[in-house]
Amino acid sequence: MRYITGPGRVALGGVCQNADVTPVAGPLTDSLPALPRQERPNLTSIGTIVWLASELMFFAALFAMYFTLRAVNPDVWRAETELLNIPFAAANTTVLVLSSVTAQLGVFAAERGDAARMQRWFIITFLMGAFFIGGQAYEYALLVSEGLTMQSSAFGSAFFLTTGFHALHVTGGLVAFLFVLARAYLAPRFTHSVATSAVVTSYYWHFVDVVWIGLFAVIYLVK
Amino acid sequence: MKVSGLLFAAGAIFFFAVAGAYWYIASEIVGTVALLLTGGLGALIGFYVLFTDGRIGRLPEDRPTAQISDADADYGFFSPHSWWPLPVAAGAAVTMLGMIFAVWLILAGALLLLFGVAGMIFEYHRPEYRTLGDTEPE
Repeated sequence: MRYITGPGRVALGGVCQNADVTPVAGPLTDSLPALPRQERPNLTSIGTIVWLASELMFFAALFAMYFTLRAVNPDVWRAETELLNIPFAAANTTVLVLSSVTAQLGVFAAERGDAARMQRWFIITFLMGAFFIGGQAYEYALLVSEGLTMQSSAFGSAFFLTTGFHALHVTGGLVAFLFVLARAYLAPRFTHSVATSAVVTSYYWHFVDVVWIGLFAVIYLVK
Repeated sequence: MKVSGLLFAAGAIFFFAVAGAYWYIASEIVGTVALLLTGGLGALIGFYVLFTDGRIGRLPEDRPTAQISDADADYGFFSPHSWWPLPVAAGAAVTMLGMIFAVWLILAGALLLLFGVAGMIFEYHRPEYRTLGDTEPE
C-alpha cells in the first residue's frame, strides 16, 4: 500500500503525530478502514534526552575533579578565588539564563508553526549566547593577565577545565542554533522535522544553562 | 514506555537515597555530588519518558490486547544511505588526535567536523529533495 502524507504537523514537545497519513485511493485500498490515530514518541527527542543524561555524567566527572582538587588544596583556593570578579560573572550568568527564556519562547512559536517568530527568538537567543561567550573570553583574559592560567595552579586547572568545557558546550549550542535557523530558512515550508530540531536544540540549551547555574554556584558562590 | 520510565525513575530514587546515606556516613562531597548527578541521570530520562507516556497515551507494545497492525505507524525518517557520517567521524578523530599531538590539528579537525555535520544536517534539504514534500528527516 502506498501512502501520501498530509499537511505537515508540528512536533508538540516530545510527540510526533502520524495521524495525517492517508491511504491513496485505489482499487485495493478503497475497502480498507481508515488508519487508527497512533502517536509514537519522537525518536529524536528521546535520543536527545538520553544523550543529555550522559552529558550530565560528563559534567559530574568535572565536578568531582573540582571538589577533589579543592579538598586537597584549601590554601590555594582561599588565595586564588579572590581573583574572581563575581558581579561581572553574575551579569553574564543572567544573560545566559534569560537566553533560555528566549529559546523557550522560540519553541512555543515553533509549536504553533510560526516560523518567522521562531527565527526571531532564536536569533535573539544566539546573540545572548554569543554575548556570554564574549564575556567568558574577557574574563579569561583578565584572569590570565593576573597570572591565573591552566598551568599556574590546581585552582587554575580546575577553573579553566570546568568553565572551558562548559564554554565549548555553549559554542556548540550556538552552532546548533545556526543550523536550526538555516534549516528553517531552507525548508520550503515549516515542517515537522524543522520544528523537531528547534525543540531538541532548546532542550540542549536549557541543559547547558542549568549546568552553568551549578558551576557558577560552586565556583563563584561557594568557593 | 511506562515500564521504561519507571525503571529509570527507580534508579533515580535509589541513587538519591544512596547519596543521602553516603553524605550522612562519610560527609564527603566528591562522592555525594557524583551520586546525586547519577540520580539526576535517571531522573532526567525517567521524567521525560513518563511525561511523554502521559502525553501520548499507551503505546501498542504496552497494551495486552493490541494488534500487531496497531504498531504499524511511521516511526520516523531513516536515511537509506549516506556518506556524511564518514567525515563526521573523521573530524571527531582528527580533533581528538589534535588534543594529543598538536593544537593546529584541532582546528583542522573542527573544520572537518563542522563540514561533516553541515552535510549530514542539510543532506535532505538540497533542492533535488524539495519535491519529496513531507517525507523529510525527523
